[in-house]
Parts: sequence; structure tokens; C-alpha cells
Amino acid sequence: MDQYLNWQSHDGDHKRAPLSLYLHLPFCHDICYYCGCNKIVTREKGVTREYLQHLEREISLQSQIVGSRRPITQMHWGGGTPTYLDTAEITELMHMLASHFRLLDKGYREYSIEIDPRTVDTSTIALLKGVGFNRISLGIQDFDPLVQKSVNRIQPYNEVAPLVDCIRAHGFRSLSFDLIYGLPHQDRFTMDETLRKVISLRPDRIACYNYAHLPERFSSQRAIDRLTLPEPEEKLLLQQIISHTLQDAGYLHIGMDHYVLPDDELALAQNEGRLQRNFQGYSLHMADDLLGLGVSSISQIGDYYLQNERNLQDYYRIIDSGGNPTNRGCKVTREDKLRRHVIMTLISELKLDLAECSYQFGIDCKHHFQAEFEQLRPMIDDRLLELSDKEIRITERGRPFLRNICMPFDAYLGAHQGDQPAPRFSATL
Amino acid sequence: MTIHLTDTGDNAALKACTHEYQVSCGNCRLNSICLPLALESDDIQQLDDIIQRSKPLQKSQHLYREGDDFQSVYAVRSGTLKAYKTTDDGREQVTGFYFPGEILGMDGISNNSHASSAKALETVAVCEIPFTSLEKLSTLMPNLQRHFFQLMSREITEDQQLITLLSKNSADERVASLMLSISTRNARRKLSSTQFRLPMSRVDIGNYLGLTVETVSRVFSRMQKMDILLVDNKEIEILDVDSLRRMANLSA
Repeated sequence: MDQYLNWQSHDGDHKRAPLSLYLHLPFCHDICYYCGCNKIVTREKGVTREYLQHLEREISLQSQIVGSRRPITQMHWGGGTPTYLDTAEITELMHMLASHFRLLDKGYREYSIEIDPRTVDTSTIALLKGVGFNRISLGIQDFDPLVQKSVNRIQPYNEVAPLVDCIRAHGFRSLSFDLIYGLPHQDRFTMDETLRKVISLRPDRIACYNYAHLPERFSSQRAIDRLTLPEPEEKLLLQQIISHTLQDAGYLHIGMDHYVLPDDELALAQNEGRLQRNFQGYSLHMADDLLGLGVSSISQIGDYYLQNERNLQDYYRIIDSGGNPTNRGCKVTREDKLRRHVIMTLISELKLDLAECSYQFGIDCKHHFQAEFEQLRPMIDDRLLELSDKEIRITERGRPFLRNICMPFDAYLGAHQGDQPAPRFSATL
Repeated sequence: MTIHLTDTGDNAALKACTHEYQVSCGNCRLNSICLPLALESDDIQQLDDIIQRSKPLQKSQHLYREGDDFQSVYAVRSGTLKAYKTTDDGREQVTGFYFPGEILGMDGISNNSHASSAKALETVAVCEIPFTSLEKLSTLMPNLQRHFFQLMSREITEDQQLITLLSKNSADERVASLMLSISTRNARRKLSSTQFRLPMSRVDIGNYLGLTVETVSRVFSRMQKMDILLVDNKEIEILDVDSLRRMANLSA
């Protein structure tokens, strides 16, 4: 941390470059059984007030550290449930951010918020547009009534559809749906029906997530009966149904179970190599640094990965005592950067130029990754990817297995180092 | 002519007749709309102390003009105002109507100058709330701060709904939405939600809804023919609120 703060205390280009913000709003009214996020389920009055008061102090502190004049080209509010805040609190929080950072109101910017359809009405949508958001992502998960009931998230199609109309009417730049496969009671028939409804609403982007049943790790998942979960073969089939159905409906698969309409900016960005993937999914590459604000949020700034205190009461305690809630961090090594580049390029662009990579990092990829390439051999034989002297290229067939293809390049997978939830998820398909 | 309530030149005149306008927040019949707060009587007194009440504006006088320094927000005590901007080609775009109990002037908060002008549509009395005093008071009274963010979010929401209304909806939908909005706001003040007098002209309605005067009049005639409204110049009676709602296509 001292090293990080010392670096930030010196002026330089890094104090003027564009910045991406992430706001973590941890509260939820109800528990969704599948959820593995850092969240607090409560209906207690006053929790948001206490949180906003502390968040304001953190916003003030971090803006001084990273620089308050940097243009905020991207912003995302996630949770929890960001729309747990009422309209006055949403306005207040945006006001706080605008007082400490340089929010943009013209030109190109991506300001997005995750919405739980059960928590908003049409006037909330108008407010979100009015305070500056231009993208919305809706947590759909599945439209089947039994599936919704079994995960404790009931939001019928006929309540979601008018909301989608309203989002369109207000001219949001893009609408994204989150879907989950592998949930209890899902089968090929329910998935067909869900996809039919999804396609009829024509979201610009669709992100599908693979449900990983890890009840020993996420206590809420204990409410899910293991026997109602689709078998691994059925789950693979679900993934294939999603892939075929969406592509038949005109969506492009940009990788890692993410689909977009062909005129979406992400599709164009992928062709131009401007696509990136971070903790929030795929987006355009507009800022190198990501600042996370709020309990448990993660930042990636310069060569540093940082995380805020994950326990809410401890987060409050640190802020009350005038401290910095960012209490975990590491500086990435050259080797980390190389591996990050390889993995990020593969999952964003579905190919890697080996000569360029060698040149950029001053190594010989072929020699450096000899062992890794050897591990890829079986997948090359299965035609999931092609490896030549010039490049690695993921085949059409290999797209669903992106995680598996990238695994050999993850230095920490074998070593169980650090706190990296991602590998546990990767291993489950 | 601009009348600035803070103009020092007027002070003598203001003081001379303050008793006529002196209503305190504690006994104002609009306080449940303007300040629906669980304020202790001490708090109300503190709020009351910062509020400046002054002589009424006459019809067509300005409360503030676009570009004026932002110093205060205003609560309407009686009468109606319109807020408007002048577009680059010189047209007037009405951005809102303000009825008793409603607060205006918050468009100045973001860059410290008013983004629109406010003009009285009839004789108007306002309470002026100087923003710096309000901010100071808000730190002592979190409820008050919260209330202002609530008002601000309502302003932002209504602005956005207007933009959407103007960009998407038909003339019928626009006029019907405005009639419903006035009806709801009357009800909030415990006035009739079905019978009221329009304080604004057809021209103002047109400039608010992005329609020509002729179109506004045609829509009124059509609604009258369909037995949805009874229109007698500025007097309006809503005969069939369900049809009016359907006409406004409220889902949008």
C-alpha cells in the first residue's frame, strides 16, 4: 500500500489519464439463492444512509489519491442491488461523485447500472437517464416461473417487458440482459422458452453465466436442492442451445458466453482490437485504470491490484477512524503482465499475435510458453484452437471453451495463490 | 423587467409590507407538500428563519432569468409560474409549470447559474430559500437534505419524462399527459382533480409540448367530442379519467 500511495503522490500522466469507476452497492431486499456476490440482505431502515455517509468519505479520499480531474469515461454501479437506493439517494450519490470527479455529460462515455427489475418502475428509469446513465443491464437470469421460484427471484415476463419498452423509450444507448444456465429445474424446454422471450425483447447484449453450485462456499446456495440441478451433460446442452439459438437470431458470440447484436459497439470494437474484459465483463477499452469504490470493491490502477475491506462493519470502522479502506493489494510483476496480456487478448480478440507479444515483452513466446503450449496440445487436436508460428487462434468450435484454453496461462491456478475465485468457476464446466 | 427578490433597492419596500405575506412554515397550509418532513418545531423555526418572503410578482414578471447567478431556490406559495429556455433559433421552449407547494430554481445547482428563466403566469407569491443557508442548515438537519434530493430527483425525472414525451408521443398523448399531471398536482393540494382552470395559455401549452397552438386546440376539441374533457376556454372538466389515461398511454 505505501508503495502504491507513494507512486500516486507524484504527479504524472497517470494523474490525468481517463479513469473508469466502479461503485459497489451491497444491499439486497431478498436473497437470490444462486448468488455468490458480496452482498447484505436486509430491509432494515437507515442502512443506505449509513452506507452513503461512509461512501462519501471514501469518494473524497480516493479522488484525492487518484486525481479528481481525470475524465470519467466509464462508470458502473453494481451490487448487491444498486437500485436498492431510492431515487433521492441515487441523485445524492451521483451528486457526490460529480463533486469529487470529473463526470462527463457530453461526448463518448459509458455509464451503466445493474437493475433488478423487481425494484424499479418507469419513473426510476427516467431518473437514471436524467442523472446521466446511458446503459442498463437487467438481471433476467431465467423467465421460467418454476426456475424463478426455486432461486427465490420471481419477476414474470409481463413485468419485465414494459420495463424494456420504457428503457427503449428513454433512449438508453444499450440494454444488456444477464442470463444464468445450470439453475435448478432448467432443461432444454424451459431454456427454449426463456430464449424465445429474451429474443423478442431484443437486448443489445446478452451475458450468460454458468451457475456454479458451491454451497460450502456460498451459504445461500444451500437452499438449492442439488437433485433439481441439471446434470453436467444437460448443462452442456443448455449452453449449446443458448449459443445456437442466439446466433440463429442474429447475435454474434464475442466470447465467454457473451453475445451482442452485430451493430453493437462491442462487435465493432472486437474487430478493431479495442475490446477489454475486466471484473464487470466485456467493455470498450477506454481507460487503463479502474477505481472501485465501496465495500469489497476491486481496483486496478497502474501496476497495482487493490481491494477494499470486504466486511461492511470493518469498512465503516476504518473510514470512521480516518483510514483508507483499501487494505489489500499487490503489484503485478512483469510475468503477471505478460500472462494477463495473453489471457485478456485471447478472451477479447480470440487470437494472439505471438510475434507482437514477444516484441512487446522482450521474450520469445514459443520458448517462454513451451510448457503451456504442450498443455494445449489435446485441445489443438480437438480443433478448439490453432497454434502456428505466428499466432494462437481460437476456432469457432473452441469459443465455448475459452476458459479452459486460457487456464494453462494462469500462473496461479496450480499454485492456489492469492484469493482468486475465478478458477473454481472455470473448472466446473 | 426582472424583479430580483434579493435586490437591495427593494428592501425598504419589502420590509414595509412584509406582514401581508408573513406566513410561517409552521402554519402554511402547503407545508405538507413543500416540506413533508418530520421536522421538530425547533427545526421548522430554524428553516423559517432563513426563508425570505417578499411582495408578489405580477403576471409576466420574471423571478429569475437564464444565466442569472444561482443563489436561491423558490417555493411557490400562490399562483403559477412557467420555466422556459430560448432555443438557438429564438423559439421559446417551456420546460415546466410550477404550482403552489412546488419548488423551482434547482436547475441552477449544477453550474451555479440558472439554466432557464422563470416567469409568472398570474400573480404569484414565492418563498425564497437562499441556497447557502439551506446547505448549512442541511448539515444540521439530515431530513432536510434528504428532502431536497427527493425534490431534485423528482425534477430530473419529470424533465426526462418530458423529453421522452416530446420525442416519442403523439399530440393526443402529450396533451392528455399534461392534463393528468395537472389533475394529480391539484389533488396533492387537496383541490379538485377533475375541475380546474388552466393558468397557462394555449401558446404556453404548445411551447411546452412541442406542438403548434392549432394542434393543441384541435386535440382539446377532439377530447371534447369524445366526451373525455369539457373545455370552456381555460376551464377544464375531466369527464372520463380512464379514457384520458388510455389516451396518455401511461406505460410509456
